[in-house]
Amino acid sequence: MGFLAPWFFAGAAALAVPLYLHLLRRHTSNPQPFSSLMFFEPRTQSSIRHRRLRYLLLLALRLALLALLVLAFADPFVNRPAATVSTNKLLALVIDDSFSMRAGSRLADAKRQALSVLTSKASSERAQVFALGSGLEAMSQPTDDSRALQAAISAIQPTDARGNFGDLARGLRSFSDSVRGPIDLHFFSDMQKSEMPANFADLALPAKVSLTLHPVASSTVANWAVESVNAPGQVWNVKKARVQAVIAGYETPAATRTVSLQVNGKTVATQKVQVPANGRATVEFNSLNVPYGFSRCAVRIDSADSLPADDISYFAVDRSDPQQVLFLHQASDKRSPIYFGAALAASAESAFAMESVSADQASSVQLPKYAFVVISDVPSLPSSFENDLARYVRGGGGVLIAAGTSMARASWIPLFNAKVLAANYYSNGPAGFLTVGDVDPSHPSIAKAGRWSDVRFYYALQIDGTGSQIAARLSDGTPLLLDKKIGEGRVLFLASGLGNITNDFPLHPDFVPFVEQTAFYLSGFERPGGSQVVGSFLQLRTAKERAVSVEVVDPQGRRPLSLQQATTAQTYQLNEAGFYEVRLANGRQDVVGVNADRRESDLAVMSPDALSLWAGKPGGRNSSAAAQLASSSTSVPQKFDAHSLWWYVMLLVFLTAIVESWVANLHLGVRREES
Amino acid sequence: MQRFLDPAVLARISGLDLIAKTVVDGFVAGLHRSPDFGFSQEFAEYRAYSPGDDLRHVDWNVFARTERAYLKRYRGETNSLLTILLDASSSMNFSSHSVSKIDYARFVAASLFYLAIQNQRDAAGLIVFDDEVRNYIRPSTRYGQLHRLLSGLEHAEPRARTDFAKPLHHFQQFLRRRGLVLILSDFYEPPENVIRTVEPLRFHGNEVVLFHVLDPRELEPQLGEPVVLVDSETSRRMEVTPEYAHNDYRQKIGAHIEDLRSRARGAGMDYFLLRTDHPLDGALAEYLTIRQERN
Repeated sequence: MGFLAPWFFAGAAALAVPLYLHLLRRHTSNPQPFSSLMFFEPRTQSSIRHRRLRYLLLLALRLALLALLVLAFADPFVNRPAATVSTNKLLALVIDDSFSMRAGSRLADAKRQALSVLTSKASSERAQVFALGSGLEAMSQPTDDSRALQAAISAIQPTDARGNFGDLARGLRSFSDSVRGPIDLHFFSDMQKSEMPANFADLALPAKVSLTLHPVASSTVANWAVESVNAPGQVWNVKKARVQAVIAGYETPAATRTVSLQVNGKTVATQKVQVPANGRATVEFNSLNVPYGFSRCAVRIDSADSLPADDISYFAVDRSDPQQVLFLHQASDKRSPIYFGAALAASAESAFAMESVSADQASSVQLPKYAFVVISDVPSLPSSFENDLARYVRGGGGVLIAAGTSMARASWIPLFNAKVLAANYYSNGPAGFLTVGDVDPSHPSIAKAGRWSDVRFYYALQIDGTGSQIAARLSDGTPLLLDKKIGEGRVLFLASGLGNITNDFPLHPDFVPFVEQTAFYLSGFERPGGSQVVGSFLQLRTAKERAVSVEVVDPQGRRPLSLQQATTAQTYQLNEAGFYEVRLANGRQDVVGVNADRRESDLAVMSPDALSLWAGKPGGRNSSAAAQLASSSTSVPQKFDAHSLWWYVMLLVFLTAIVESWVANLHLGVRREES
Repeated sequence: MQRFLDPAVLARISGLDLIAKTVVDGFVAGLHRSPDFGFSQEFAEYRAYSPGDDLRHVDWNVFARTERAYLKRYRGETNSLLTILLDASSSMNFSSHSVSKIDYARFVAASLFYLAIQNQRDAAGLIVFDDEVRNYIRPSTRYGQLHRLLSGLEHAEPRARTDFAKPLHHFQQFLRRRGLVLILSDFYEPPENVIRTVEPLRFHGNEVVLFHVLDPRELEPQLGEPVVLVDSETSRRMEVTPEYAHNDYRQKIGAHIEDLRSRARGAGMDYFLLRTDHPLDGALAEYLTIRQERN
């Protein structure tokens, strides 16, 4: 027996209070008025002895009450051997329902073994059923009701999630904190090697958890799978679209597999591929002939293995017409539209079609139909066009302004609203050119374009960059690429020209990705790839898009979001393989193909040594792992359970207080009657 | 009706007039009809007017003929003068139950006033005293006298201590006419002092009745343990043991009562012990019997 807070015994000094009140304090009875003392005579009688005897029970009760109260605060406990509390043992049945359990009859075997363990348990023993998929999920409450437990086991269905045994250990560590007694853990799984955490010590279970492993797959099984598909999410030109698929074999012999490309359920192309033994092969389809709008595509192989679910990989494609781009230049400038147009055509998967217009024809163009506008070295714009352009930008349009030598005569940059400070001709300098000094690699126009390190700039227009973001500077500090947000739109300013006169940028390999990224950035139109992995999150709205309803339809045609979630959820976790239809908060419709994590396709199982080591039976050949687990298991004290007596003491306090009140009330009643 | 004569019940009735009416009407209604109690309105005789008489009883016809004022008297009227001396010392405030001694004395006095004025048309007066004369209402039969008397009773709050000797001198000047003098007190004085003080009233031809008002706990104290008692008049403290209260005290108070009773009888006075837990009918019956005998 011990005390968790023995310093509260200092409160025992309070026992002196009732002792003083009952025995030491001089008795002072309340004087009682009487009409006349004419017939009384003073008689002093010492009545201390009488009083002591009379209040002895009350004194004892009050002393006991205080002593018990002090004892309760000291929080006594007794150490009981763990064996004596075995009646509180909880049987935990964990069944792996990850994607790999779809192979053969693994999940059915696991459920059958779990049921047999359940039938062998004592009728009074409590048990709880869990499923291990993307995390540890409780399928039932702790109960001794065998029917409820059997129903919970039967309710477990195979999922497309990727399992991780580290999640099992982590979940049990937090779960064991809420369970008082020991936990008898039975784990039913295919013991897939790829589900092992990176660190073996992450598998360490709490000391009061005893683990019994029930492998349902004893050996590795050969499996082919479509490991990955590289396909565009957006298609503008079906002839230029390419689909690449990687076919992987796990523990497989060399074989020829038939790979087919399906669009909206119809096979549009088929190829045969030689997959080496336990290796990978790539298949490429040179066209993706999909209709306009969203198409549900898939790459399928004929594997005839035990895990057919990974023989298909889903992806969605959206086909639309190329976006129009307005390129405005001086009539005498023939170079810049050629370079920019060539770069735009060579990149961006033909998403954009450029329309070149000279500045004197600008008044006749209709701006709203263009995805973005490029103004190449035009010092002045027709006023009506400039007004239309400003309105276009404020409404969300994008403009790229490139400053050639013609703009050196201007003192003000239209639209960008910046003052021209100087026109720097670096060709007159000692080196004849300047290079780029600093770039902001996080800027969308530069992110994939390298650092422009070899580009030579012979000329740059220096402007006042106040209020704009500077994405790149020349080595002398002159701002080279500036970004300014105007209204809902955006204007980029390149301080040099797009022809090869003021720089050699158009001849440089970085020019094409710069044009491509700038085009997507200014047009605001870039669709991510049309496939995701099970377990990943889909962003439904931005922080600004509140109280706008979104809609998600899962591969089974269900709407998993409640009304409240539809108006508040910012992300949604994709839990199943197949096609999800999504209506985002910004009003866009989207279709997403979701595939299981292909690490689940590798059906290699853990070695017996690792299994025995995990189950707490060291002695295998892996001595370092054994040492890890040994250190993690011996660091926790065991064998005794501290059983607190606080509640019992408080119950005694309560009973004593009631009796004390009753006895004290009796004495008070006597006094009242006497008075 | 007896239930309404219980002092505890009367204490819950507000207003001494209502209490007096309840007691007297209830008590009288329970008696057999008797002409001696003054209910008859039969003419008896004329009597010369004297100051203090109610002018309503003057026979104005006779006055018109003779120019002398005469009062018409009826059978049942005793023409006695009732004066009640009420002890309002602090000891009268003692109570061990719902009715204190002063309340009980008020009830008795109010009932007697009601009986005398309303039923018998006697003149009635009140003297409230402790160690001084605190209130004096001259005996009269005038209209509103009963109300004045009851008001005087209600304002008689106990205070100070009892001293019969000191206000005696005042009694003498107030009580010039002979009549019936009732003294309501707890008589915490030596009996010889009480009798010696009150005796001159008897010598003047008054009929004196002593109503000794005591609380039952004064007669039989119940102490469970030694207690300190405080004298309500002198504030003197004394530790008293239960044994003494059970034995010696009871003997002493009993001897005191007997001494007072015998000395009063010896001096030609009547003595009645009134326990505040007993109904009022006993006291009233004694009083009316005396009235009957005297008339």
